[in-house]
Amino acid sequence: MSGLALAGISETAALTTLLGFGLAVLALYFLKLRRRPVEVPFVHLFLEVLATERSSRLFANLRRVLSLLLALLFVALVTGALADPRPTGSEGSGRILVLALDASASMQATDVPGGRMEAARAEARQLVRSLGATDRAIVVELTDRARPLSSLTSSRADLDAAIDAATARDVGADLAEAARFARDVASGSQHAELVLISDGGVARVEEARSILDDANIAARQISIGVGAGNVAITALAVRRYPLDASRNEVLLEVLDAGEADEDVEVELLGDGETVDVQHLRVPAGGRVRRFFAGLTGVDEALEARLRRADGSHDALAVDDRFYARVPERRRARVALVSEDDVYLQAALLLDEYLDVFEVAPADFPPSREYDVAILDRFVPSTPLDHDAIYLSPAPAEGVTGPLEVAGTIERPFFDVLRRDHPLLRHAAIADVNIARALLVRAQPDDVVVAGDRRGPLIVAGTRGSSRFVALTFDVRESDLPLRAAFPVLLLNAIDSFAETDAAYRGSVLTGTSVTLALPAGATTATLDGVRLAVRDGRASVRFERAGFHTLETDVGDQIVAANLEADGEADLSPVSLDLGVELGTPADEIVASAPAASAGLAPWQWLALLALTLLLVEWFTFHRRWTV
Amino acid sequence: MWPFGKRREEQIAEDRDLFDEEFQRRLESLAIVARRTVDGKTRAERRSKKTGSGIEFADHREYAPGDDFRFVDWKLYGRAGRLLVRLFEEEEDLSVYVLLDVSASMTLGTPRKIDHAKRLAAALAYVSLAGLDRVSLSTFSDRITSRLPPLRGKARVFRVFDFLRRAELERATDLAAAMRQFVASNKRRGVVLLISDLYDPKGFESGIDVLRYARFEPRVLHLVDPRDAAPALHGDVVLVDRETGERRDVTITESVLARYRAAHARYRERIQSFCGEKNVPLVEVPTDQAWDQAVLALLRRGGVVG
Repeated sequence: MSGLALAGISETAALTTLLGFGLAVLALYFLKLRRRPVEVPFVHLFLEVLATERSSRLFANLRRVLSLLLALLFVALVTGALADPRPTGSEGSGRILVLALDASASMQATDVPGGRMEAARAEARQLVRSLGATDRAIVVELTDRARPLSSLTSSRADLDAAIDAATARDVGADLAEAARFARDVASGSQHAELVLISDGGVARVEEARSILDDANIAARQISIGVGAGNVAITALAVRRYPLDASRNEVLLEVLDAGEADEDVEVELLGDGETVDVQHLRVPAGGRVRRFFAGLTGVDEALEARLRRADGSHDALAVDDRFYARVPERRRARVALVSEDDVYLQAALLLDEYLDVFEVAPADFPPSREYDVAILDRFVPSTPLDHDAIYLSPAPAEGVTGPLEVAGTIERPFFDVLRRDHPLLRHAAIADVNIARALLVRAQPDDVVVAGDRRGPLIVAGTRGSSRFVALTFDVRESDLPLRAAFPVLLLNAIDSFAETDAAYRGSVLTGTSVTLALPAGATTATLDGVRLAVRDGRASVRFERAGFHTLETDVGDQIVAANLEADGEADLSPVSLDLGVELGTPADEIVASAPAASAGLAPWQWLALLALTLLLVEWFTFHRRWTV
Repeated sequence: MWPFGKRREEQIAEDRDLFDEEFQRRLESLAIVARRTVDGKTRAERRSKKTGSGIEFADHREYAPGDDFRFVDWKLYGRAGRLLVRLFEEEEDLSVYVLLDVSASMTLGTPRKIDHAKRLAAALAYVSLAGLDRVSLSTFSDRITSRLPPLRGKARVFRVFDFLRRAELERATDLAAAMRQFVASNKRRGVVLLISDLYDPKGFESGIDVLRYARFEPRVLHLVDPRDAAPALHGDVVLVDRETGERRDVTITESVLARYRAAHARYRERIQSFCGEKNVPLVEVPTDQAWDQAVLALLRRGGVVG
């Protein structure tokens, strides 16, 4: 059975309104009957007139009743308009509409007036206005997850409020998430539709289509945006020089996602101050990488900003910035376990960021805390729980060293070298002369960085929770200490321990969950005012805004840089998605069944129009003295 | 309390303003103009139809015992042998009676009809006094409510003002009853200037007829408030008669108003027709017309004090 249902005020409210205002009209009507006394000099002249007027009194009363009826009808019409009656169609035909507003970063583009997000909100509001009385809808903010902003409701006020709350974020959009959400919401309904209001820059379309197909959910896209040129920073990496930690090298990558070449200006800011500016010409659809060497003045945070060479900004601002945290310059505490080896002492003096102290083998382990131990011809009797560099690690009788020693190798040469290994960076050791070396057997997980055909000479590996680098020869029985490669090799080894510190992250991507290592001893952590759960000195976070965020802990603060993965969001060309509209209830049918504004007037509009007409009629007849 | 919400002292003070210096100046100039207008035609010194001790010969009659021998026409006796006495027209000054309607209906209008009427009465009285007539004023409603004895000379005009200021407002109009009382108490005939809106439920005709039958010479000054003819009324109202208090529920529509306007016009035509038939001079005095202009208009037409 088809009928009408109220989409505006409830039935109770409508009845209350009708009753209240109806009574008020009646009261006013009776008040209106209280005649105004007017003094006249000679009433008899009126009596002459009224002698003929009496005959029409019945008609006058009729007109008065008509006036009352008109007033009551007016109240009924206005109440009806407020109640917003809508045709219900057949029973059980209430539709479920999942309004997914794309809130990915590309929706922050300003290629349409007011921005894409506002255009999406406007489209969503229009859809809500066209809902039938028994239709229900839910508003979803779609990023890499589907976040409901309202309940499944037919209340237009609630839906409008949810639409207003939708905000574009610095993340991508995952359509499969929206499809799963729609599937869960529409469970059991035969008339469900997913309406994606988006620029089409969404991920996992195929998977979404499959989910919708299986769930028999109709889907369509309302396309937003017209497209515009956009240049984005897609990568920014920074590292300190190993031997001069006050200077940094920076790598930047810029993408032109538009259809024209772009002249851009890249500004680097170190700790908030401009440290370099460079002009780049980026070809249409291409990428440009720029290396910044010896950058100083950056101690903690590095930010890259991009703008067109003429000073203007492109249509998407969020990918014009990129953020990175610079590795911490922590002084490594080095325990040098040696018998006055001046070569070693001299080599370690080259790095001012090393805190070196000497320990006699008999006094090992030392009472002081340390990060790295350099063990010169000494193997401690118990396994180390620190990272260590072994030089000729021949263990004493009954002691197990990091490597099993099977004998010696006379006059070994560096026949095998892994030149790409960080340990050998900037270190030229191929022609080092060595008198003899220990013949050791590396374990399967160990990395032989350099070696003679007869056995390894430099081995890197892990024992327990500690890492080690072992030189299987006594450096004093070689000319290595006389070469520049010696301190470089040592410092590379120390750096390799430091740089693999899990606490260091240059930046993280928005929209992904990451685990941050908190400063040692931290038990509580707060990020941007939100308290995080801390477990084993780590906390999981997920960023939806690019930029620098402050991680506050009870032992100190730490900066975290978060960046948009710009590759997927930089292209602002709107994409029309094929979502399989033909499935389930066709979207066209849904729209056609709804009283769209363009197709004619809604019932409430007819009622309001009738009320207005009635007012005009009453006004006209009053001024013509027909109803007074 | 003074009728209709005003204290008597307040009303008197208000009426004092009616006859302020400006009014008196205009009155004086009006008197001069009036004299020019009526000079040679309607002097105040009227020739009475009574014969008496005048100097102008009128007629002869048979001598009767007791007649004054000085008036015996001895020459005629010598020629005709009949003893006749000469009769002379008695010269007497004209009596002018100003009758002012003080019924409640006169208190309506803007300006109020009664204010206009009082100024009119004062002006007419002054013009008459200036013409050496005997002027007497009376106010009436359903009876004669007050009377100012006959006065002579312009100097007496202040008594007229004072009388008019103190005139008390009354309720209903009964023109016939009031006129009967008037003629009963005034034996000396003369001109009666009747200033009224003529709203009398019993009809104005009988009142004027009473004056005519008593051989007074009535002149009617009909005060007309234009808003009486076209009241600004609409909708449901209760009409309350100012004089009788009679109430009537009426729904005023455009057609009712049109019929009322027609009825009012018929009423005025009825007055004009009656006065025309009875040869009673009638002047309509709209209240939106300046009072002196009205008096001059009356004088030029010569029908009121001529």
